[in-house]
Order: sequence, then C-alpha cells, then structure tokens
Amino acid sequence: MAKSMEQLMELIDKMPEETAKPGEFILPELMAIQIAHQVRNDDIVFAGTGLPMVGIMTANFLNAPNALLIYESGICDGKTMHVPMSVCDQRAANMSSTLGGLVDTFGYYLQNGYVSLGFLGGAAIDKYGGVNVTSIGDYYSPGHRFTGSGGNSDIGTMAHRVAYIILQEKRRFIERNDYTTTPGWWCWDFKKNEWKPKKEVWKGTAYANSGPVAVVTNMGNYGFDEKGEIYLKSFHPGVTVEQIKENCGFALNVSLVEGETKKPTYKELFVLREFVDPELIFLPQKVEYPASIQKLING
Amino acid sequence: MPRSRTQTKKAQIMSLEEAAKTFMHDGIMCAWSGFTGFNRNPFAFAWQSVRQGVKNLHVIDRHGSCCTWLLNAAGAIKVYETDWMGWGEMAGKLDINLEKRYKKGEMILEDYSHGAMAMRFLAGAIGAPFIPYNAPLGSDLYNPKYDALGRAGMRGKDPRIPKKKFIQMEEPFWGEGDTVLLPSARPELAIIHVAQCGDKGTARWRGVGTIDKEISFAADKVVILAEEVVPESEMRKLPEGNQIPYFVVDAIVECPWGAFPSSVPFYYDYDAPFMRDMDKASRNPDDMKKFMDEWVYGPKSWEEFIVKLGAKRLLDLKADSVTGYSTRMMRGKKPAPRMKMPLSVAMSGY
Repeated sequence: MAKSMEQLMELIDKMPEETAKPGEFILPELMAIQIAHQVRNDDIVFAGTGLPMVGIMTANFLNAPNALLIYESGICDGKTMHVPMSVCDQRAANMSSTLGGLVDTFGYYLQNGYVSLGFLGGAAIDKYGGVNVTSIGDYYSPGHRFTGSGGNSDIGTMAHRVAYIILQEKRRFIERNDYTTTPGWWCWDFKKNEWKPKKEVWKGTAYANSGPVAVVTNMGNYGFDEKGEIYLKSFHPGVTVEQIKENCGFALNVSLVEGETKKPTYKELFVLREFVDPELIFLPQKVEYPASIQKLING
Repeated sequence: MPRSRTQTKKAQIMSLEEAAKTFMHDGIMCAWSGFTGFNRNPFAFAWQSVRQGVKNLHVIDRHGSCCTWLLNAAGAIKVYETDWMGWGEMAGKLDINLEKRYKKGEMILEDYSHGAMAMRFLAGAIGAPFIPYNAPLGSDLYNPKYDALGRAGMRGKDPRIPKKKFIQMEEPFWGEGDTVLLPSARPELAIIHVAQCGDKGTARWRGVGTIDKEISFAADKVVILAEEVVPESEMRKLPEGNQIPYFVVDAIVECPWGAFPSSVPFYYDYDAPFMRDMDKASRNPDDMKKFMDEWVYGPKSWEEFIVKLGAKRLLDLKADSVTGYSTRMMRGKKPAPRMKMPLSVAMSGY
C-alpha cells in the first residue's frame, strides 16, 4: 500500500542522517541539496525557476523551515505543497503571506534591501562571478541568444548574498563574458571605460558589498576569495580536480579545496524525492532506495 | 501617456473579434498581462489578432508568454522591448521562432531586466516621465553601446519611444553613489486577462498581480478579457479584492478559457503538455505550419478552439476552489500527491 503524505511526513525524523553511497543518488539531486545548504533559517530568499527553486524548497522542508521565499511574480512567503513549474505558478502562491506584483518584489523587497539570498541560474560565468544570460558572440548578431536578464541582474546585484547554479564547461567558465548581464565582483565602469572592482563602481550605493558568494555546478562547489575571485571549494563525488580544471576556461584557484562534496543524506534525499518533486518535473528519475531505507518506509 | 483628459471613458462590452478589430492595428505598441507562459496570458486575444493578420507590433513587456510565442510564430512582432525572451520555463525556455527571426534580422530586441521593466511601467502608471532605479551598474544592459532602438535610428521620432534607453547619473539627494534613470513605459494598448470583470469595467484577479495594474494605467487603452462578466454591483461587495478601476477600461470581453494554455488561478491550471507541443512544433517549419493550420487558422472561433480541446482536458485542468490549481493534471512523469498541509508549515508553523 502506498503511504499517504501524512504517513510519509512522520517518517522524516526516522530517516538516517548518514550519507548515501555513490549510485544511490543522481547528480541533479546532489546539486539541489548543495543549493539547500546555502539557505539559512533566517534568510529571505529570492530564487529563479528550475533547480534553484527545487533547492530552496528542499531547504524550506529541512534545514531552513523559517526561510521566507520570494518569487518574482509577486509571491511573499509561499508555503508550497506541490512543486511550481514557474515563479508565477499558483502552487508557489499557496498560503503565502501577501501577494503583490513585480513592483512589490523588485521594489519594496529587493531594492529596499530585504533580500538576504538570491539563487539564480546562468549560461556562463566569469572568474569574478559575473554572469551572462543574454548572448554569446557579438550582441547584435549573436552565435547564441539566451532569454536575457529576467530578474537575474536585479537579484544578482541587490540580494546580499548571491549563489548561482551553472553547467560547467570550458566555454561557460571563462575569463571575461561576451556580455555581462549580472556583474560580479569586477565589472565595467562605463563612465570611465575601466574594468574595476564592483565595490568602486557601486561606491556609495547600498549594494556595494552585495554579490556572489557561491556557485554550484555539476562538477563542484565554489566560493569567492577576498579579491572577489572564484575558487574551487569542493569537488563532487566521482569528479577529480584535474577534470574540473580541464572544464574551466581560466586558471582556476584550487589551493583552497576542502575535499569531496558531502554526499546527500538519506533524510535529504527522502525529503527531496517524496515532498519536493515527487511528480518528477525537475528531477529526471527516481532512484530506488537501498533496502534498509525502503524497509523503514514500508514500516 | 499622461495627458489631461476631458472625457471619461465608458467601457464597451464586445466580442473577441470586435475587440481585436477595434483595438489592434499594425505597428501598435502593446503590453500583455500575466507572467511568462503560465499565468493569465490573454492568449485568445493574441490568437484573434494573429488571425486578423496584425503585423509589425512593438511589444513592450516584462516577459515572454504564450501570446508572444504565437505572435512570433506568425512573424507579427517587429520590436520586442522586454527583459525575458523565453516564454514557458519548462518548454525549452527560449522562443525558437523569436531566435530565428532575430538572427535573420527580422526583429529588434531591446534588453532590460524584470526590475527595470516593472519600474518603467510603474513610472508610466503614475504619469511620471522617468524613474530612478538601482539598476545593475556595470551590466551590459547599461552599456551605452547596447541600445538596439537607438542603433536602429528609432529613438526621438515616435512619441512612444523615449529619446534614450537610460541615463546613469550621480544620485543627487542623498549622495548614494550612481543611480540609473529609466524612461516610463507608454504603450498604446494594454491587454489584460482577469478572472472577473464587472459590466462597467471594474476588474479582479486572484493569485499574483505581476504588473498588470501598472500596465493598465501606463497604457492609453485597456482591453479586459474576463473569465466571467458579472454585474458591477457584485464587484463592489469586496472592493479591496479588485485591482483595476473601471475608468481606465475601454473594452470588456467575456472569454471563458481565454487564457488557455496558461492558467487563471481558481479557474483552471496551465496545460504543460500543450505548451511542450507548442515548443516541439516551433522546432520544425512543417510542424509549425501544421500547428498553425490546426490550432490557429482551423477553428472558426475561440469557442471552437476550446471545444476541440475536449472535455477530458478541460476537466483535468479545472482548478479546485481551495488551492486554485489542479492536482489531476499530469505535469511531470508522476501524478501529484494528495497533500493537506505544506511540509514547511508542518515543521515550523507560521
């Protein structure tokens, strides 16, 4: 007999906090849980559609139940039951505190400085965390044209801490973006035509010290040093530092690596699979639990 | 556009065909309600406009949607001034026809960001000529070299297109570094799909507001498409639930299921499989033509379009009155679970 959601809820605390073994989880699950780890219980989080949304929902169901989630279409503190496909999905608005619109989320909340964590995607990233979601090649006749900023450039510069999830390839991890949609710790000063630290360009504004603090890819986790340069923090299971360097378009700082990324725990996987995306919308498949966990679930 | 008005508008109730004929014309600058392809897209109005053959539209908006997808599929957009050229996050994100037309030089894209477009519409709504915004300094969005409308020589000619894309200036009152001035958005027509509209024009939606109120006030003319048109007196029983006052409305169209395949919260859900089929069709010219013939030019009326979808589909999409969405619809690979309470609430309360 399939268990009801209420019965499954009661099982959460019984799930072991021990880490799963290789083969017992898939990469998107690992990445979603890396996102969840970035969320603090007292955060006000502004996240984009896709894995960022899945990750912060996981956090909201696990380590950060009090984190307040904002979705750009106007949703404040949605208490989601079913994973939304979009930031304007009524599912995301479920039991929210207030519902407004873009002026609320980008003006009242974001520009006014309330958002402590932004979680976003990107097509390419430079070594200072500047992100491109607009175009590759010449702006007016691009090789690739992406969707453009959406809320990326607003959230990515005005949220206090910003984290990105990006597919790691040599052409996506680059020295300098063809088009910088969302500036990182170094950016252009267009008035003087100089490339310089964001802190100088943004001097005097409320957001000079806001910016990227973490990047999650399919290969590893990254942080930013005091110069604003990205460094490898941990490598995902099954990936070597050498492979990561090969998939990076600039000389990557690997001197601060802490080791392998912590694998997800059974408890984390249980929450992600049974409560965040049981419909398999963002996760491509559901991996079978090991016998001991399945026994716990079956009771 | 702010102007001193001497005459009060009186909203006319009309059919979808009449409304599209009366308010749409070639080259019009227009804005569409909802958010991305998922929420309150006035799709029936875009559908009718395409059937009437409108061309050279200047769409000014803060998102792509099912509407812009269809307008691009028909090659109807000339200028697209927005911040997100996708249309449905799950369906391949980028609009394939848009990308094709852009790369062929058939349309102009002017990039902003969500926050910037929201502020531009807010400025338009309150009659302000421009608005300061802490737009991302150092982003190529505010690189003086990247001004697509300027490059095309379109600035300073049309009264609806501002002379400049933006102005970066030193914040003059508080000494808070640099800020960016953004011109107000001033479309000619706003097309807004809502849940209910009074027969005088007072309109209401449930769920997120996106920037539909701002769009309605920023535009010269407003067409409301509603799931139901009800006596105006009914709308006055809960005035705080209304968002658009009747005096900005020019036309009211009763159009049930008119936002399909997007959702109208508490009425029906979005149709993810249909949107995936739309995306699939756009990836091949033959399939695209087939889609247009079958779904756009084939049905004799919007009603016939909805009938063609079949009762089963409509039953699956029908929203429940508690959550405002449907749990019978297959969005992913597995059915939606029955839930009584969000896990975050179960774990922490409020």
